Amino acid sequence: MEIEAGTSKEQDATNADTNPFEIIEQKILALAQARPKGISDKDLIIEMPDLPSVQRAQIINKLLSQGHFDLFKQGGSLLYRLRDPSKAKIAKGADNEEKIVYSIIEEAGNKGIWIRDIRFKSNLMPTQLSKILKSLEIKKFIKAVKSVAASKKKVYMLYNLEPDTSVTGGAWYQDQDFEAEFVDVLNQQCYRFLEKKREQMNSCRGGPIMARNVTFASSKEVWKFISDLGISKVKLSVEDLEMILNTLVYDGKVERTLSGDGSILYRAIEPLLDSPGLIKSTCGVCPVRKHCCDIGDVTPTKCQYITEWLE
Amino acid sequence: MSVMCRKLCSSILFEHFGQIVQCVAEDLFKHGARSLELIRYATDLPVTKVKEALCVLIKHGFVRYSRVERGLEFSLIYENVLLILRYPKYMFFIKTMCGDESEMILEEVLMNGYITASEVITKTYKKIEQSPSGRQPSVPVLKEKFELLVKNQFLTRSLCTDTVGGRTNEKPDFTLPNLNLTAIIKKIEGDNNSDPGDSKIYWKVNFDRLIQDLRDQIIVSAIRRRLDENAGELMRQLLFLMYLRTASWAHTSNPIPLTEIKEAVKKTSYPLLIHHLDQYLHLIEEDSSQFLKRVGDSGGGQFSVNMKEAFEQLAWATLENIVMERFGSKAARIFRLVRDKKYIEQEQIQQLAMIPAKEAKHLTYTLLQENYIQMQEMKKSGVSAAPIKTFFLFHIDLNVVVYMEVEHCYHALYNIMQRREYEVNSNKRMIDKQLRMQTLTTNLKEHGATEEQLAEIADLMTPSEKQQLEKVQNTIKKLGITELQIDDTLFLLTMYLRYH
Ligand code: SF4
Repeated sequence: MEIEAGTSKEQDATNADTNPFEIIEQKILALAQARPKGISDKDLIIEMPDLPSVQRAQIINKLLSQGHFDLFKQGGSLLYRLRDPSKAKIAKGADNEEKIVYSIIEEAGNKGIWIRDIRFKSNLMPTQLSKILKSLEIKKFIKAVKSVAASKKKVYMLYNLEPDTSVTGGAWYQDQDFEAEFVDVLNQQCYRFLEKKREQMNSCRGGPIMARNVTFASSKEVWKFISDLGISKVKLSVEDLEMILNTLVYDGKVERTLSGDGSILYRAIEPLLDSPGLIKSTCGVCPVRKHCCDIGDVTPTKCQYITEWLE
Repeated sequence: MSVMCRKLCSSILFEHFGQIVQCVAEDLFKHGARSLELIRYATDLPVTKVKEALCVLIKHGFVRYSRVERGLEFSLIYENVLLILRYPKYMFFIKTMCGDESEMILEEVLMNGYITASEVITKTYKKIEQSPSGRQPSVPVLKEKFELLVKNQFLTRSLCTDTVGGRTNEKPDFTLPNLNLTAIIKKIEGDNNSDPGDSKIYWKVNFDRLIQDLRDQIIVSAIRRRLDENAGELMRQLLFLMYLRTASWAHTSNPIPLTEIKEAVKKTSYPLLIHHLDQYLHLIEEDSSQFLKRVGDSGGGQFSVNMKEAFEQLAWATLENIVMERFGSKAARIFRLVRDKKYIEQEQIQQLAMIPAKEAKHLTYTLLQENYIQMQEMKKSGVSAAPIKTFFLFHIDLNVVVYMEVEHCYHALYNIMQRREYEVNSNKRMIDKQLRMQTLTTNLKEHGATEEQLAEIADLMTPSEKQQLEKVQNTIKKLGITELQIDDTLFLLTMYLRYH
């Protein structure tokens, strides 16, 4: 999103008239400037009746995320108000320390930065630093975001940034909670799909290589299958699904290959071995084997595990 | 050698050769190579008994002797003791390869350690005669079967001689003696003066060859599982071609040209394989198991079998299965992930394995604690102001884990054997009774006893006794099968260690 914004600004500089989006943006900004109290969606519809609502929402969202607007509610309707331009940059009144901390946080981008690392970089005392962070937070220059990497770890980033998926965890997290069940279901469904493909092999008559080739599925294919199933509330990307497919690879059930055109292919495979003989015996999987010897409470002759298994 | 391995060997010897042999072997286990005098002193056994025991051990190749300054020194080869566990497998293999009579011949050789051809034929003849199957043995057939075993190198001449120091070097010798069939037949009929013409030419089992065959079976069945019947057969042919041109136990085969593979495959009865040979070669070669490599293009392509790699893959597969069974599928996922990434941090583990942080940590540390994965500390000094950062990276040292699992196999085998012995002992009275009844019945039958008489004997055992006996026999059988299964794993892992 940021990159998009950057390029459009450049275009703006060279040729302002080429991008219709830019023109509308400018129009909206001008409108907002004219009404310091804020403008509502209704106002916009009146002012720009030709603008499709989808596009309008897109532009508003963009301006919001770039920090041009503040959003607030008034009398049941949403108002967008132009942000004080002096506030978009760090306030003039802020002291040097605040500026340093702000720039350290700014540098960290939407991945955020941990308080300890700010301390090392700024060389500030912990108490002083936390005071500064508080003040910046109150002024809505920065915000603290809980990271999924560690439950009690907070990272700081600029107020208007959308946290990176490494912080929020992406599709697999809801409020910092990893949705293990959801992942498991997807893991199973993906495997089911690939297994079905493998079954087609038996009816393939074109020689063994062709038979193997029908078992391949690209991540996109699997993605389509999962999307069509409609089991996911959130929208998943192909990359998201590749993460799931990789867990199947680590489960030893699926193999991953790179195809000629660069896309990633997956196929269900058979393991090289049956389960080894060792673990077919009780002693192979015994939880108390380390304590099992000729004398004492745990001995092979008294062993209940074997007795039960013999029954 | 670990304590567990020693205990296992010891109880194997006890089961097959009795207490005195076990006692002598124990002493050699404990003290390494030593003289007869010292063994006698330590075991407190009469010298004749010690000698007898050593004789048995030497005969079966478990003990080696060497001349030192003051006489002879004996040392134990424990690996050979462990081979006893596999005897049933060897016999089964020979049975499928060369037929029932061959199996019986092999069994005789195994029981005796080393033996002359005429003797083994005589013994097998008598055994068949007495067996309830009612088959008629024939000396020429047995001789043929014996020669078949030698031709396939399952038997080899034993270079063990009665005199010390007469051991020539280790080149296996497969030359067949000239057997006098009439003399053998005469001997069977009780004429002890006839000379079959092979005195002092002893034969023993060529374990090396049998081990290679079991090894090859693993490879073939792995490919069959992974791909299909045809690919399995192709693998078998490739191993055969490897055998023709490569020293046994070489890591990789010398290049096998496509033309020869074609020739070999043509002789099989797999039409699909013959038709799609190129494709099957391609599939085995492309498979991630990497059993086969294309090493050249001359003559339509040159292929090399990679045994070393194959057993590494198989060892991994075994360990993955063990982890799966012991700690669950999520743990197995982590295990494979660590294998795949070689070195990996905790945080990455939970991310890539997509397991909730807490569970992932728990599983990783369980695997660490049980030594299935290892941890390495890495220090990275950052910029001057920052303190030294410490990373903990997880990785797997395959050899360490394999050694550990070999021990695990020893332990499991030992335990199951102990249990089996216990079951036998606690039902000894009944088992003995049944044995006595059996001999009685066969004796009576030979003397033409009536049905009634036989039924009377059968009634000596009450129905509840019969039921109990059946249960015990089942138990013993089940435990025996489990031992064989555990040995499968032990064998595979030992093969891995042999190549690495
Ligand atoms: S004998 Fe029983 S207690 Fe001992 S290791 Fe085997 S299963 Fe476990």
